[in-house]
Amino acid sequence: MATVTDSDSHESPSRSTSDAQLEHFSYDDSIVRMFVTATILWGLVATLAGLIVAIILVLPWLTGGLPWFSFGRLRPLHTNAAIFAFAGNGIFAAIYYSTQRLCKARMWSDALSRIHFWGWQAIIVSAAITLPLGITQSREYAELEWPIDLAIAVIWLFVFGGNFLMTLIHRRERHMYVAIWFYIATIVTVALLHVFNNLVVPAGWFKGYSVYAGVQDAFMQWWYGHNAVAFFLTTPFLGLMYYFLPKAAERPVFSYRLSIIHFWSLVFIYIWAGPHHLHYTALPEWASTLGMLFSLMLWMPSWGGMINGLLTLRGAWHKVAVDPVLKFFVVGITFYGMSTFEGPMLSIKAINALSHYTDWTIAHVHSGALGWNGFMIFGMLYWLMPRLYQTKMWSQKLISLHFWTGTLGILLYIIPIYAAGLMQGLMWRAMDDTGHLAYPDFIETIQSVVPLWWLRIGGGLLYVSGVVMLCINTIMTWSNRPATYEVPVYSAPRLTKAYEDEVSKTDPLKDVPMLELGKKVDALGRMGWHRRWERLPVKFTVLVTIAVLVATLFELVPTFLIRSNVPTIATVKPYTPLELAGRHIFVSEGCYNCHSQMIRPIVSETKRYGEYSKPGEFIYDRPFQWGSRRIGPDLAREGGKQSSFWHWTHFENPELVSPGSVMPSYEHLLTQDLKFDAIKPHVVAARYLGAPYTDDDVENCESISRRQAEFVAAEIVGQGGPAAMHEKQATALIAYLQRIGTDLFRTDPPPADAKPADDGAPADELQTGDESATVDESGAAEEEAQVAAE
Amino acid sequence: MIKDLVCALDFSAYAEVALGLFVAAFAVIFYGAMKLSSNASARFASIPLSDDVEDPRDE
Repeated sequence: MATVTDSDSHESPSRSTSDAQLEHFSYDDSIVRMFVTATILWGLVATLAGLIVAIILVLPWLTGGLPWFSFGRLRPLHTNAAIFAFAGNGIFAAIYYSTQRLCKARMWSDALSRIHFWGWQAIIVSAAITLPLGITQSREYAELEWPIDLAIAVIWLFVFGGNFLMTLIHRRERHMYVAIWFYIATIVTVALLHVFNNLVVPAGWFKGYSVYAGVQDAFMQWWYGHNAVAFFLTTPFLGLMYYFLPKAAERPVFSYRLSIIHFWSLVFIYIWAGPHHLHYTALPEWASTLGMLFSLMLWMPSWGGMINGLLTLRGAWHKVAVDPVLKFFVVGITFYGMSTFEGPMLSIKAINALSHYTDWTIAHVHSGALGWNGFMIFGMLYWLMPRLYQTKMWSQKLISLHFWTGTLGILLYIIPIYAAGLMQGLMWRAMDDTGHLAYPDFIETIQSVVPLWWLRIGGGLLYVSGVVMLCINTIMTWSNRPATYEVPVYSAPRLTKAYEDEVSKTDPLKDVPMLELGKKVDALGRMGWHRRWERLPVKFTVLVTIAVLVATLFELVPTFLIRSNVPTIATVKPYTPLELAGRHIFVSEGCYNCHSQMIRPIVSETKRYGEYSKPGEFIYDRPFQWGSRRIGPDLAREGGKQSSFWHWTHFENPELVSPGSVMPSYEHLLTQDLKFDAIKPHVVAARYLGAPYTDDDVENCESISRRQAEFVAAEIVGQGGPAAMHEKQATALIAYLQRIGTDLFRTDPPPADAKPADDGAPADELQTGDESATVDESGAAEEEAQVAAE
Repeated sequence: MIKDLVCALDFSAYAEVALGLFVAAFAVIFYGAMKLSSNASARFASIPLSDDVEDPRDE
């Protein structure tokens, strides 16, 4: 039996353990074993899914036109599996193991722990079912529809968060170690992000329309998306690092002071940086600049974490040479350092103008996900397993082999994809001597990088094979476990309510003749107040919440309340019911994964796609579909560019109209009927959210949709296409595609009772309202961007 | 009353105010962290090393 004493007892000789009631407890390691098993299982699934989508990208015909296996539907499955299933379960394993030990207390409720485990797995399975079925919000990392989102909120905040907070309240270690702070920040902020980004108006059980539209939806989505990276893939992993790295190295963390500074800096700064995902888009310039500024500042606290991690190993580097667990940690932290240098660098507008929409982003993300998240989890698992299964690891050699295979896999993945990203960016903007695009055919830029995509498959294969090694090692280690696990019982005194640390007790300036103000400043500087926070979990949680909320509101309020952020364009009208149905298909198929809908004010971009996008064009777009990657060309001005029959053929077999295309066949859209009677809920939801549909539009939306579908079908026939296709899903999607980006140029006939314009205002100003001012600003932005580009 | 207050707010200055807020908070935390006693810092840094985890078995 182990005995634990109050760690602070030596600070206060006046108190002894005999004064406090001694309590006996054991740790709940079975829940940790469950999460470890889930982490490994989902790690295999997530990496395999990644490998599959990488293969589908170069061999699109492999899917056989089956809709469930298209890149657009499977890519979100891969990202969700990697983030929420693999990393998520890894986080939970780390938190459940370390929190109990750092608090010297069993988790508050075993029942809540198990509800959390099974609830989270059920959420993952429901994601795995719904995403291939095309049930998605099409917002990156927030694809899951509202019923699943509700389940996530309940399981995460009330079950997991509640259990965690109650464990802190009932702890027997007075001081909350820095890892706990990071866990608190994770739980609080992820809950906030998830709830406020997923506010929707339901249009049935499997569809919800975001309460935000266009520019504001984009802003909210990337406030969420960026901070999902921050508070799901960074802060909990820093907590993991602060606990498991000292354990594995058997050395205390390098600098506790640095951990305090970098914790609060991360919490304050990260929340602001989201707009760097939207440089040169229709997002207002001030928000973009602010995002860039805070992203640059973010470099320092991030590297504070990296330095703190690596320097923890000072004096223990000889252990790294022989211990594969430490090797995983060192490489993981190094990748963290690389990613957190590259992130701020990519947030610089001039660099972002080149990198955005290219594979550079993909390489950046994977260096973080495979290197930082993956390797930190692998290191933790290999350290945990002998302790959890109470036997030695089956094969140390296999752990080393996993390490080297994984490292090579990451390198073979990211190096070609960095090259692909640079190639894409440079080819898209390249001009010849006559001022024309050097590569006017988008397909040419994609074909150039396909060989590099093949290399990525090699890297992915290596990484997956490393995960397979982990699986084998785990199964063999588990099979050598003892018949019954030992459950050590610990003893520790309950924390007494009255406690005063030495900061409060001692005042070195007590008898010094000086101003009281000076003494107060000194007392403030000795951080007694922060030390108190570190002993008060509820207060600490509230303070972290306030920090995150204040930072968020300072960015959010102006975005939503300054009217000039989204100048009105008089000619922009809501989609027709059929176009709305077509947009729903576009969203369901995950087309945003390959096609952006945002033309930046950059010369090469306006030459390739047309007039740059204006914020007022997106006011009816729920969700926004600006995308963040171009595997196919931008569609922001797609309306009227191609004939309807061209689109029809493109869905049937993209190679016929675009030789060398990596788009899969969407033949099912040509054969499956559109449910005209299911359009009404979409129109009702859009109307509820402010789209000016009349009662007639709502009541007769089926007949209105059929009329437009017949018109599109007739167009297709007139252009040489098949007859009697007005009831097919493709007609709705074509109607939507032919509408995209056309409203800006539409000239509505003046109403019969229109009066001539007074005070000499030009006609176009009447049409577009404040937009003219935006054009001037953006014109300047265009010049600026072009200078950067050149 | 509240309506008047909200109307009087100048949202365009929010970004600068927020930056100032962050810098002030950072300065306080930084100053305080630097003043933390070495004894306390060393003790807190060692918390994970003293949580009485059972050693893994070698047999």
